[in-house]
Amino acid sequence: MTAGRTTTRGAGADAERPGVLPDDPSPGSPPAAHGLVIDGRPLPALDAPDARGVLRRAVRGQARFVVPASVFAMVHQACEAAVPVLIGITVDRAIAQHSLPSLLVTLGAMVVLFLVLTSSMRAGGRLVRRATQGAGHEMRVRVASRVLDPRGTEPGTVKTGELLSTATSDAQRVGMVNAAVWTAAGAAAALVVGAALLVQASVLLGLVVILGLVPVSLLTTLISRPLVRRSAVEQAAAARAAGTATDFLAGLRVLKGLGAEAVAAARYAAASATSRDAAIRAAVVIALRTAVVTALTGLFLAVVAFLGARLALTGQISVGEFISALGLTQFLLGPFTRIAAVGAQIARARASAGRIADVLAAPAAVPAGGVFSLPPGPLALEVHGVGGRLDLVVLAGERVGIVVSDAESRAAVETLLTCLAREADPERGTIRLGGVDLDDVDPVAARERLLVAHHDAVLFTGTLAENLGLGVPGLDEAAVRRAVRAADADQVAEVVPGGYDAVLTERGRSLSGGQRQRVALARALAADTDVLVLADPTTGVDGVTEALIAERVAALRAGRTTLTVTRSPALLAGTDRVVVISGGRVRAEGTHAELAGIDAAYRELVLR
Amino acid sequence: MTDLLPTASPTQTRAEARAVLRPQRGLVVATLATLVVGTVLGLVGPRVLGHMIDLVLHGGTTTALAVSAGVLLLASLGQALFTGAGSALMARLGQTAVASVRERVVDRALRVPSPELERTGSGDLVARVSGDVESVNDAVSGVFPTLVEAALLVALTLVALLVLDWRFAVAGLLAVPLQAVALRWFLRTVVPVTHAERIAEGARAQQILDSVDGADTVRAHCASDEHVARIAARSDDARVLSIRLAAVQRRFFGKLNYGEVVGLCAILAVGYVLVGNGSATVGAASAAALYFHRLFDPFNQLLGLFDDAQTAGAAFARLVGVAAMPERPAPAEGPRPEAGSVGIAAREVSFRYSDDGPDVLRDVDLVVEPGKRVAVVGTTGAGKTTLVGLVAGLHRTDRGAIRLGGVAVDDLGPRTLRRTAAVVSQETHVFAGTLADDLRLAAPDADDDELLAALERVGAGEWVASLPEGLETRVGKGGRPVDAARAEQLALARLVLGDPPVALLDEATAEAGSTGARVLEASADAALHGRTALVVAHRLTQAATADRVVVLDAGRVVEHGTHADLLAAGGRYAHLWQAWSAAHDRPAPPSPTSPEDR
Repeated sequence: MTAGRTTTRGAGADAERPGVLPDDPSPGSPPAAHGLVIDGRPLPALDAPDARGVLRRAVRGQARFVVPASVFAMVHQACEAAVPVLIGITVDRAIAQHSLPSLLVTLGAMVVLFLVLTSSMRAGGRLVRRATQGAGHEMRVRVASRVLDPRGTEPGTVKTGELLSTATSDAQRVGMVNAAVWTAAGAAAALVVGAALLVQASVLLGLVVILGLVPVSLLTTLISRPLVRRSAVEQAAAARAAGTATDFLAGLRVLKGLGAEAVAAARYAAASATSRDAAIRAAVVIALRTAVVTALTGLFLAVVAFLGARLALTGQISVGEFISALGLTQFLLGPFTRIAAVGAQIARARASAGRIADVLAAPAAVPAGGVFSLPPGPLALEVHGVGGRLDLVVLAGERVGIVVSDAESRAAVETLLTCLAREADPERGTIRLGGVDLDDVDPVAARERLLVAHHDAVLFTGTLAENLGLGVPGLDEAAVRRAVRAADADQVAEVVPGGYDAVLTERGRSLSGGQRQRVALARALAADTDVLVLADPTTGVDGVTEALIAERVAALRAGRTTLTVTRSPALLAGTDRVVVISGGRVRAEGTHAELAGIDAAYRELVLR
Repeated sequence: MTDLLPTASPTQTRAEARAVLRPQRGLVVATLATLVVGTVLGLVGPRVLGHMIDLVLHGGTTTALAVSAGVLLLASLGQALFTGAGSALMARLGQTAVASVRERVVDRALRVPSPELERTGSGDLVARVSGDVESVNDAVSGVFPTLVEAALLVALTLVALLVLDWRFAVAGLLAVPLQAVALRWFLRTVVPVTHAERIAEGARAQQILDSVDGADTVRAHCASDEHVARIAARSDDARVLSIRLAAVQRRFFGKLNYGEVVGLCAILAVGYVLVGNGSATVGAASAAALYFHRLFDPFNQLLGLFDDAQTAGAAFARLVGVAAMPERPAPAEGPRPEAGSVGIAAREVSFRYSDDGPDVLRDVDLVVEPGKRVAVVGTTGAGKTTLVGLVAGLHRTDRGAIRLGGVAVDDLGPRTLRRTAAVVSQETHVFAGTLADDLRLAAPDADDDELLAALERVGAGEWVASLPEGLETRVGKGGRPVDAARAEQLALARLVLGDPPVALLDEATAEAGSTGARVLEASADAALHGRTALVVAHRLTQAATADRVVVLDAGRVVEHGTHADLLAAGGRYAHLWQAWSAAHDRPAPPSPTSPEDR
């Protein structure tokens, strides 16, 4: 993302845009996240574009939260370790010896201990959430800005279907690395304090507890492995069942049309049963694990109890120390297993960090280009040898219709549209816009003058007015209204409840296909670029409306370079010249009327 | 999204929970008994430890200590065995129950009558079968068992304290009012924050999907910065709420700490008094303190999960609401249209979507003779789709009657109805799964050859042959992308497989781009061959090749006749045709009787 770039088209198309990508990576190298700002702080580039770099940044970027959070965690855990010790001291000094002053002192100490414990717990917990959320947020914005970068991503380098989960779950999991740091710090403090307290009472008992904890917690972790696998199986089965149900509901009208509701319900029931069985198996594994852990802990505690009682009996430790040892043994199992879990948490974070790094390092589809301004006024378009042998010249201000007659030509025209949109550069051939090689033009500079509008262009969540560009600063309101009328989108506003203020959800799914297409067309016309490319703009619109739109668009774009790919006779009639492409090259050209009059193949193509 | 589907009342929800568990009553009792035994065995520990302390203080023998340690060990082995078995039983119980509920919900959701679906949209239904089901699933495998086990432990520990000395129990209970106040505060505070956080996360996901799926469009319109800013803003909203939620949770756990310290100090003080006056041993006082200290974690769990349990309860109430929706009584599978070809006859049909709404159709007469094809033409809002919906029996006429093969649509049972007349709707949907699964929705018993033949007939034979996995190719969500035209061909192939005598086609070829449209018209021709067909024509070429054309305008039939007749009449249809073709010097219109296979 570049700093200070204009985000909307307007009068400033030729204005100098400062700060456009001072680095000039050739295609194949990822664009750097320049000028990315979060919370008023500029974001530094990652020191390495890999999983480690992402993880390091996730922690370092949150140092001001995660460091104090960890200190609080250590204080909190040390206090937790002290609770059983203080219970032991109270029993020993106050209860067994029946001393009221001792009771008051120990209970007072208990209250103070809890006050420190609870405040450090609260402070640490809040700070660590800041850190996890802050890092997740930063990674999310980095991913978004890379994906939406004007230079695009090389096809095949970024899986669009996974981007939502990369930007949400993966970003979140990377953020959670801070929680792992916090947990590890607390657990380490608990272990150190607990061990010190034990050893201080009795070296033998301390060593037995600490040495015993290692195999116990290792075993606990070990038998948790199949658990992770089982629960993954369970989750996958549940997700599959849920996916089946939502998919059937998404196609519910189709199901009803077929009368396939019962078949669908039976399929869901089968998926649900599989999910149920997987869940039961996973629960049995969990139960088994819990049982083994309980038994192991019991064995361990019995050994410590016997040893401690023997030591207390022979007077080597006090009764209070015996009670502390029992309490600490139980308490220390917690930090031990938590430390083991930290490893798994970091492994998950690293896997997620890898996916994020892959997106951030995705090579650009087109280079930044060195030309930032094109000559003012209408622009001509020259195409040579694109897609193999497509040659085409569109004069400045000319409206040209393109009719594609076969699959090869369609492919060539698709390639042309992709290149014009600067989503890729032509592998063969050249495109010149206003006399400048399109390859050399900065993608944003090119798009500010040339817009390619696909027939399936998406709308965005927001009001109808926002989608049309109404009320957007920098756009001429009257011109936008003219565009809206030309695309017959004012009719859409009339029929949609709420009119221009109607909120479009899910990329415009609340509108019908034809309505969506008219709004998208209006938006393209409203952008008012010097060159406009319309690909099949009216396929979802009924014939009468199409005729109306064709007439108005022709008038609106009179004297403006406009390329329309279509077979609609109405749209073709509104162009200055029609070019028929066959076998990947221009086969015939002329006005629509001329071609319709003399060319039988053309008539067959567009009139049938 | 307006929540128009019903939510069950608490009484209804409880009744449903009981009804679901009733067939497994034996299992419920066994589960509870096993868990109680396990929990009680777990409570032996502190008691034995207390005994060992007394042994130490009063000069016991090593043998006595060894016996105590042995009891400790045996008790925890027993605890392990019983709690393990108990939670396995509980999982079986819960998972079986929740599976039966969700299956009923989905079954019911799939049978929601069309008018209701049009009114509420599918959003709420989808939210219930995905979000609510997930929430209840998670509760049954996570929150619910933890809650049950923690509740048992808390209750039985109280009993154990009572057994030691009733005054220990009273001391421990001092914590309860503090915890209760904390819980009340928490539930009041956390619910709106959690709710807001979930909404913010939903908005964030929506914005990411929006911008990322439309990345090409974003770039084409030079709106990258704006969209990154939008995502950042939504992400920041969710971040702020998550931090606020953490603050609330931490404050709650802090408040619980107050209860802990009060209870613990009270038990120690009671121990001091009781040991002093000789009514308890030091061992018993230690056991009481250990009991209470061991309760910290489960008690926090119990209270901390209250909120999740409430959420899951609300989700369950929404599921029960759907499961208990009254079904529209379906007519018995009685009369069947006469065998062979079936005609359509509509007489003076009127329809409106709501009682106070305008008439969408008024006094419509329509006859389609068996085996003939009639095209319905009209501008948007003329009532074309509604007419198809009425003929398909998806809606009921307000006045007038529609007959298929001489039997009123309303009298046909749902199965007979769909075997007689199938709809290919405006919406195309490729179902997730293999291509064969998708096609078999229409004909569950069809073999692969029949599926391939159907694809061949609609012109998709070459395409499926080009797929490396053929019919086993995964399509739909998460599978191989299928473009709009192919999706339409799949819909037509399903029609061929279902093989109903009457086919209702609604704007099937509208969205495929101009080349695609031509191919699809051929596919539709093939699929309709030999069927009585009512076709909503958006492209007038579809009308030109039909046997007759009906022109609808504002819910009324304004013209009907053959394409040639109507052109010659120079009325509304002729005007539409002219506007549509819009060629200044267009050649003669295509011949009304189409040349090929008809």
